[in-house]
Amino acid sequence: MIHSKRVQLRVNGREHTLDLTPQATLLHVLRNDVELNGPKYGCGLGECGSCTVLVDKKPARSCVIPALGVIGREITTLEGLPALSLEGQCLQISPNESLPPLHPVQRAFIDAQAAQCGYCLNGMIMMTVALLLRNPQPSRQEVIEALSANLCRCGAHVEILKAVDLAVSYSQVPLKNSLSTLKPHEPLNPLLKGHDSAIDGSEQANVPGVQ
Amino acid sequence: MTRAQIPFKRQDLPSMKGVIWVARHPVAGPQGITGQPPFIASSPSEGLEVLVALWSDASVTALHGHVDLGTGLRTALGQIVAEELCMDLSDVHLEMGSTATAPNQGATIASNSIQTHAQPLRCAAAQLFVWGLAQSAKRFGVSASQVSYDNRGFHVPDSALVGGHATLDNPTKGVLSWNDLIQEQNICLELDLSVSTKPSHQYRLVGQSAERVDIPAKAQGDLIFVHDMRVEGMLHGRVIRPPYAGVDSGDFVGKSLIGIERESPAHIPGLVGVVVQGDFIGVVCLREEHAEQAMRDLVVHWRDWPGVGSLKDTQAALSKHPSVERELLNEGNAQQAWDTASVKLDETYVWPYQMHASIGPSCALAQWCTDEEYQATGIRLRVWAGTQNPHVLRADLALIANAPDVGVEVIRMEAAGCYGRNCADDVAADAAILSKAVNAPVRVQLSREQEHAWEPKGAAQVMQVKGGLDSAGNPVAYDFLSSYPSNGAPTLALLLTGLIEPVAKVYEMGDRTAKPPYQYPNLRVRVQDMAPILRASWLRGVSALPNSFAHESFIDELAHQAHVDPLEFRLAWLEDPRAQALLRDTAHKAQWRPHSSPQEQGADPKDPDWLKGQGVAYARYVHSKWPGFGAAYSAWVADVEVNQVTGEVHVSKVVVGHDAGMLINPKGVEHQVNGNVLQTTSRALMEEVQTHPRTGAVQSLEWGSYPILNFRQVPVIEIVHMPRQNEAPLGAGESSSVPGTAAIANAIFDATGIRLRNPPFTPEKVLAALNSAHRAIPSEGANHGANLGANLGVNDWQDQPNQLAQNQNKNIAPHDAQYPSLSQDRNWSFIGSQLLKLTRKGLALASSVVMCLLAWGLYGLTMNPNWQQRVSPQLSMYGPKMIERGAQLAALGNCSGCHTAENGALNAGGKPIQTPFGVVFSTNITPDENSGLGRWSYKAFERAMREGVSADGHHLYPAFPYTSFKDLADEDMMSLYAWSMSQTPVATQPYQNTLSWPFNTRGLMRFWNTLFLNNPSPLLEPTTLDKQATQSLKAVERAQQPDDLFKRGEYLVGSVGHCSACHTERGMMGNEKRDSHYLSGAMVNDWFAPALTAKNTAPLPWTAEELFRYLRTGHTQFHGVASGPMAQIIKDWSSVPDEDLWAMSIYLANSMNPRAQTDDELSTMATVRLEQSKALEVKARGLDVGQRQFEGSCSACHHEGGGPNLLGTNAPLSLNTNVHGESPNNLIQIILKGCPTPANAQMGFMPAFKDSLTDSQVVDLVHYIRARYAPGKPEWTQVNETLEKLRQMPTNN
Repeated sequence: MIHSKRVQLRVNGREHTLDLTPQATLLHVLRNDVELNGPKYGCGLGECGSCTVLVDKKPARSCVIPALGVIGREITTLEGLPALSLEGQCLQISPNESLPPLHPVQRAFIDAQAAQCGYCLNGMIMMTVALLLRNPQPSRQEVIEALSANLCRCGAHVEILKAVDLAVSYSQVPLKNSLSTLKPHEPLNPLLKGHDSAIDGSEQANVPGVQ
Repeated sequence: MTRAQIPFKRQDLPSMKGVIWVARHPVAGPQGITGQPPFIASSPSEGLEVLVALWSDASVTALHGHVDLGTGLRTALGQIVAEELCMDLSDVHLEMGSTATAPNQGATIASNSIQTHAQPLRCAAAQLFVWGLAQSAKRFGVSASQVSYDNRGFHVPDSALVGGHATLDNPTKGVLSWNDLIQEQNICLELDLSVSTKPSHQYRLVGQSAERVDIPAKAQGDLIFVHDMRVEGMLHGRVIRPPYAGVDSGDFVGKSLIGIERESPAHIPGLVGVVVQGDFIGVVCLREEHAEQAMRDLVVHWRDWPGVGSLKDTQAALSKHPSVERELLNEGNAQQAWDTASVKLDETYVWPYQMHASIGPSCALAQWCTDEEYQATGIRLRVWAGTQNPHVLRADLALIANAPDVGVEVIRMEAAGCYGRNCADDVAADAAILSKAVNAPVRVQLSREQEHAWEPKGAAQVMQVKGGLDSAGNPVAYDFLSSYPSNGAPTLALLLTGLIEPVAKVYEMGDRTAKPPYQYPNLRVRVQDMAPILRASWLRGVSALPNSFAHESFIDELAHQAHVDPLEFRLAWLEDPRAQALLRDTAHKAQWRPHSSPQEQGADPKDPDWLKGQGVAYARYVHSKWPGFGAAYSAWVADVEVNQVTGEVHVSKVVVGHDAGMLINPKGVEHQVNGNVLQTTSRALMEEVQTHPRTGAVQSLEWGSYPILNFRQVPVIEIVHMPRQNEAPLGAGESSSVPGTAAIANAIFDATGIRLRNPPFTPEKVLAALNSAHRAIPSEGANHGANLGANLGVNDWQDQPNQLAQNQNKNIAPHDAQYPSLSQDRNWSFIGSQLLKLTRKGLALASSVVMCLLAWGLYGLTMNPNWQQRVSPQLSMYGPKMIERGAQLAALGNCSGCHTAENGALNAGGKPIQTPFGVVFSTNITPDENSGLGRWSYKAFERAMREGVSADGHHLYPAFPYTSFKDLADEDMMSLYAWSMSQTPVATQPYQNTLSWPFNTRGLMRFWNTLFLNNPSPLLEPTTLDKQATQSLKAVERAQQPDDLFKRGEYLVGSVGHCSACHTERGMMGNEKRDSHYLSGAMVNDWFAPALTAKNTAPLPWTAEELFRYLRTGHTQFHGVASGPMAQIIKDWSSVPDEDLWAMSIYLANSMNPRAQTDDELSTMATVRLEQSKALEVKARGLDVGQRQFEGSCSACHHEGGGPNLLGTNAPLSLNTNVHGESPNNLIQIILKGCPTPANAQMGFMPAFKDSLTDSQVVDLVHYIRARYAPGKPEWTQVNETLEKLRQMPTNN
């Protein structure tokens, strides 16, 4: 029989207490336990990029990463981007104030209409966020290289490249003052609420988060 | 939230308040026209079909039976409705495709949603507006023509009101809102298709670009996709498909299962059910990862299936396939005209099997309703699906549910883009079966491999054209015959379970755009209708795409024969003036270079390898039942560059003309056109389904074996829109893909003079055509290419068995299956084979030896006293420092690696260690008194460690490396003992070794020990110790002497580290060989443990610094990452102090590499290697199937610059030791198993490819990697054999 470990996983700034076996990929956990929709299952082989998340702000293919392999690291998904942009220098507020704030890269992809079916969109946005964190003003060649292993079947490539150009320009917009409207993330799974305060990571030995 | 956004069901609407709605009676027909995609009418019992509902808050629900497949249909329909109602797009909410809500408008196919199926909705909206005007006029007491509408409501000028007074019930003077008109009423209007809709010159939304309404939610991860559906109590399902991958007709379908081993997934937690019906197998688990594992681990036995025959020669396969000929047109006498033509052409065009290749494998959620719910609601089964055909799916699900159609509800959610029928319906049926079986909601996700293998393919197609010119160069004959093996691809689960018979129906769908657009005075058009070979249905462009490829290639060939510019020739014979205008404008925009023969121009004067060319093609997509009707018009001018040396084709620019009549959302159409251009370029250049050479089963199971276009290959696209806003809208979803392939083929002809009639135009195909035409190629490049080709193209990949079928069979030998995990770190397999050889050579000799050994062993048994204590040792005797040191040594000795079973308690033993003599289980080394070391004295411990004798006196087997441990210093031995005793005791049951006689006689080990235990410890040949290099070491900064470190390293390597246990070849008796064999590399459980001596084959030399980095972190910049057994060891070494690792590194580096290079020197060497490797990449590009596999499967993580910067180390493969080794074992092992538990998480993780790649694909990949990244090394000769052997190993080893 396979045994599970109780661990804490930090996703979009919140700790989640989970019982996991080694078979659980980060993608499984994000989608099923944390109930996030951003990262998508595409191939399970790290080939297509639709499952991309950030691990310590580096882009990672969550379908090939065992969740137990990233305990103690900071996971950011599409849903966590608005909060991520708070840490940086910019945030593009939606023109429509009733909408939640967006990361400039999300805004850029919407403005450039850079999706057809939109299944690959998560990966394209996450790769672009990661690229701009590393290189705020990439050349076209650098953009193509960064996205070269993210597949889009509908053929939205032209719009996606435009979106990256837009994102570069949006990212130059200085931080606005109206950020106080941004609320911290609510836990997406109400079942997890109870666990959040119960576990204090300080008691963990050796492997962070493992009991 | 507006009222329109609140979901409702059709049946509830009549009882709702504050709404006016337009409805129609369900459309009765057309009931399934023979040979066409099915249409299943709604039941009259479902009530009126609602088209639009306008709520009292002035929000609008528009309902449409088609679905948005990523085309922006939702937005365009919203624009149409908002336009008719003079509202904003944001006021309109679309409900699409769900059977309980939306009208039945058939499948979303043939680009028909706007052109045809938007009209009822448009009329319904117009009707509401007319009603609003009429009602307002009545209440204002004016005529309807005096009422106008703006965002405040309906109003009239004051002058028009009687006495200038507002109506009684309207407080605002002269204005009536929708609320005023509707109030609490429920008003139903019957659809009137004769209503006057808004004239197009009054449009203010239609024709203006609108932002897609669905993209913001998708960019934020909102619930949109069926993959994201979750309901309470939802379980996770997976299916296991039969070995006849991608074939859905034949006697074997549904009848190939021999049986499953029900106990095989018993170890998986939360397994709810295993469901078997015919050839349908599914598993259901509480958690998704366990469902995936159950899918992999379930042992299934299948019968062999006969196969559909080789599809390698598509033309031959189709010509053998039974068909029915259908004549579509016969004008004049094509045969006679051809016979007498001055120029006669008889050409055959062959289209390959292609895929939708949806980026997300299909997924569905099914909920089997309780009996109570069924009684109350009439709904037996509810299914959330990404279908394009909700009512046909509903009928299929009703079969499964054994309920009437109306007892099934299909809720349509978005799915990854498909371009026709993919597995969306299949997975919905899978989910329904599983949900019914376990009586709970089940979400089923198909794997990438299953989607690739089983999606209904775009069929292969063969077009034969005979045509000719008269003496004046005018076309006189066109005799066209098209063969198209495809049908509607019945939902798979129905076939697998036997609910329907696996009889392949013949559809009549090969006739799309079968008529050429040019004037041929003698014209005959025929199709051969045939049942599918591989499972096939409609894929974007259906048969029109291949048919048009033939028409548009052939007209180019005629133009060439007539010595006329291909554009001019087309314009001369094109019948439709609208088409002529489009073609002219497109060519003009593309700066068409008229030519009457191939221009074969150099693309770049500095690089003579590249030629450039321009090609043109035109098509109007004519679809649906012959003679069909036309969607949008499209023309392409493609600019290509062709590399004469490698055969690579690069589409640099496409100017695409598009005439779709009125555009609802011009930006949306533009994006569709861009998508069509890119997808078609991909299909033309790269896409072909790989099939098994004998059975024909689909072998493209992931993106490496079915590559699609990526960002590097995106051409510049310019779109020419024709201004036709006053014409009717024409379908724009597929049209611009139809002429694309011919435009590219024609451009290749212009660049090279080579006519290609068989897409995809892969480099090897182009090169073969160039070579067969005996073209002059610059000599240097040609040689280079040829050499590399010789290196790479060596594999007879056609003869590999179908690995998919093999995997799914999982015919694991029983003796392997019973051991879940074998120790990874002892090189016994070699010994086993040696011993077997010995036994075969001289049984007599061997048996006499055995008798002697046995005698010695019995003697031995009497010699060892029992040193077990009665009382446990006192831990307080040993200080914490000693215990800590012991823990470090235990880590260095990797005790837990052998003494911990998979998922077992730490150091409690029980791990099976495979030896040629049988299986030895490791022992419990926790201080449990009965089952562990709890009653062992120090003396007993030391005897075990130095002599291999257990506390009770029995001999231990040398799977336990006491031959190394014997050299431990007393103090270290004591520390290890202290650590052992300090652990938490774990009680275990005794483990039963399964050694065969005579090896189960432990006393024999005494003899063995006499032979091998008392040898002096071997030493590595010291080379010059380069003190200069070691000066820089951190350890030296800590004031230690390099010589001391060297000696310490020698001690650690030889004793507790027991490096030789893996890195030294073993003799026939399982002994480590001495002298020059010491640490010189050995095979361990089919992993090669590299030489730790000068024999090491790493491309860059190892230095102490590099070894230290490797041992500390598991990876280095100049040598790659640790994998296989070593990865686990390095993980365990995390608690070993730096000093010890430095000591071992200095000692080992000293023997491996006398000239201790600095990091700067290594860096320079690495740069040179990488540059060489890069140069090879440029020359090799596109040449080899292995390279394409690598680029699709590996290059996201493994590239040498020029790719994404992903989590993980991406150490260059051209510096990787495994790639440069003498055997391919390690590389194959890693490809098959991946690296899910790397030495350290910073390295990143690699997935296992064993279930995703066939043998031939692995072999191609391995040869490519070797040739590309270890260019100086000889080709591996044992790749097939090694792979075959490694495939046999237990999957979890």
